[in-house]
Amino acid sequence: MFALVDCNNFFVSCERVFRPQLEGKAVVVLSNNDGCVVSRSNESKAMGIKMCTPFYKVKHLVDEGRLHACSSNYALYGDLSNRVMSLLADAVPKIEIYSIDEAFLHLDGIDPDKVPLLCREIVEKVRKWVGVPVSVGVAPTKTLAKIASHFAKKYKGYKGVCMMDTDAKRLKALELTPIDDVWGIGRRLAPKLVEKGVRTALDLVSRPKEWVSANLNLPGVRTWEELRGNACHEEEHEDRRQSICTSRSFADMIEDEKELVLRVSDFAAMCAQKLREEHSAAHDVTTFLYTNRFRDDLAQYFPSATIHLDVAANSAQEIVGAALKALRTVYRPGYRYKKAGVIVSRIISDDAIQSSLFDFDDGLRQKHDRLSKVMDAVNSAAEVSGSASGRSLLRLATQRPGHYADGIRSDFRSRLYSTSMDDIIEVK
Amino acid sequence: MTGMTEFDVQEQGNAPFAEEQMPRMAQDGIHAGFPSPATDYMTQAIDLNRELVKHPAATFYGRVVGDSMMDAGVEEGDILVIDKALDPQDGDMAVCFVDGEFTLKYLRFHDGGLVLVPANDRYPSIEISEGTDFKMWGVVTYVIKRVR
Repeated sequence: MFALVDCNNFFVSCERVFRPQLEGKAVVVLSNNDGCVVSRSNESKAMGIKMCTPFYKVKHLVDEGRLHACSSNYALYGDLSNRVMSLLADAVPKIEIYSIDEAFLHLDGIDPDKVPLLCREIVEKVRKWVGVPVSVGVAPTKTLAKIASHFAKKYKGYKGVCMMDTDAKRLKALELTPIDDVWGIGRRLAPKLVEKGVRTALDLVSRPKEWVSANLNLPGVRTWEELRGNACHEEEHEDRRQSICTSRSFADMIEDEKELVLRVSDFAAMCAQKLREEHSAAHDVTTFLYTNRFRDDLAQYFPSATIHLDVAANSAQEIVGAALKALRTVYRPGYRYKKAGVIVSRIISDDAIQSSLFDFDDGLRQKHDRLSKVMDAVNSAAEVSGSASGRSLLRLATQRPGHYADGIRSDFRSRLYSTSMDDIIEVK
Repeated sequence: MTGMTEFDVQEQGNAPFAEEQMPRMAQDGIHAGFPSPATDYMTQAIDLNRELVKHPAATFYGRVVGDSMMDAGVEEGDILVIDKALDPQDGDMAVCFVDGEFTLKYLRFHDGGLVLVPANDRYPSIEISEGTDFKMWGVVTYVIKRVR
């Protein structure tokens, strides 16, 4: 079983944590340069404002006082996202961070009778501790969990948690889900399916395998399997044997986060180098930690977190950055770690890298590529001359997650309430 | 399917807890020279984050403006450590959102009602009723004061 935890209207919800006066009001968050709408409160959705609407088209509503617009404040959203993810990592041993505002929880090994309570506790805890509302969908496959989370969000009666745990519920949900709302059915595919009479997810699963194989490509067939309740997204990795793992046991157990950051950075940089050697790039970066299983006098903890990259990457910057984000999500002080590792998976050929819809900076990507090439050249030269003692000569100074460049337009940006001491809330 | 992590580790021939397979890199870095006699006494310096922040995911900071909590020793410019994870209790100092702004007050629960009590005679207590625009934001656990 999987649970998809999705933050409701995430950017707007982040703004409301520090500006409770925006609760119950129509609010939108704008993209970089205040270009277009990227997050909407339920009230602004009800006004008919669509995703990606250019700001100038709704500016009159702001001037009339009917709509509140916020520039995007990625440092704030990133920090609150990290807080949410760390609470999710506390709740289950294994999570996959799919994007800034959603994560899959692996529920295998958890007593199914306890899952509903666990999910309800997650909803309440995230709401109370961070201040952000979340919805949880539970189902046998990731594609179905995604659908269940839509229902959890849409219908107040679920109180944030929708369990798709029987076949009857699954079929009912599929009947109510338009085909273009299904995860994995792209914008180009949906109209073609509708033409062929496939309007809902139920229409699709009702088609026989032969029809599906003849009319859809491989990912489409997988989506069909997933909608039928057969998990495919996991097996995908197993079939292709496409992953690279770098891990080590430590001579001495490590408790210090800074030390783990250095080790994990090394592991991730080695994975990235391997990817570049093979002219490939990875979509998923996992960091895992193990305490010493043979020391039953010590507290035990075996967490892992996976970061999903919208655009497959092989630069040291991106792979190390993702691995450290995963590390920060699962690291807890008070444990003595015996082993750590980084796995890169969902590997594709690097000429097949496709940019994502939002915020993809091609110039930055090329800069990373050039830097990585220089690093590789220096490191291999150093290896030949034996000067690097088995360690890479050139490494990244482990960086803080990027702050967006100055000079972009953000007329309505809120403060850095949780990441800058100068910007904390004022209390009278 | 046991999960991706386990599978991948096995694929590398590096079972999760096997100690004997340590390719390429020496187990714990390269050691050279004499070990420091301090190594045996190595311990972490006091980390205020760890001491003062019990719930990192739920902890935020605020800065005091005004003097409504003056008699409690809380003055303008002081930094508040605010823990949203805690359940507010009678007598707690808490950050609340009332009538469009954050306010710092003592909480007094009585007869099922709540009163926000300042620590300064010049300010009135605020009775929270059904109609009040009110939101409990977080409980204050520490006040950090600059003294020079």
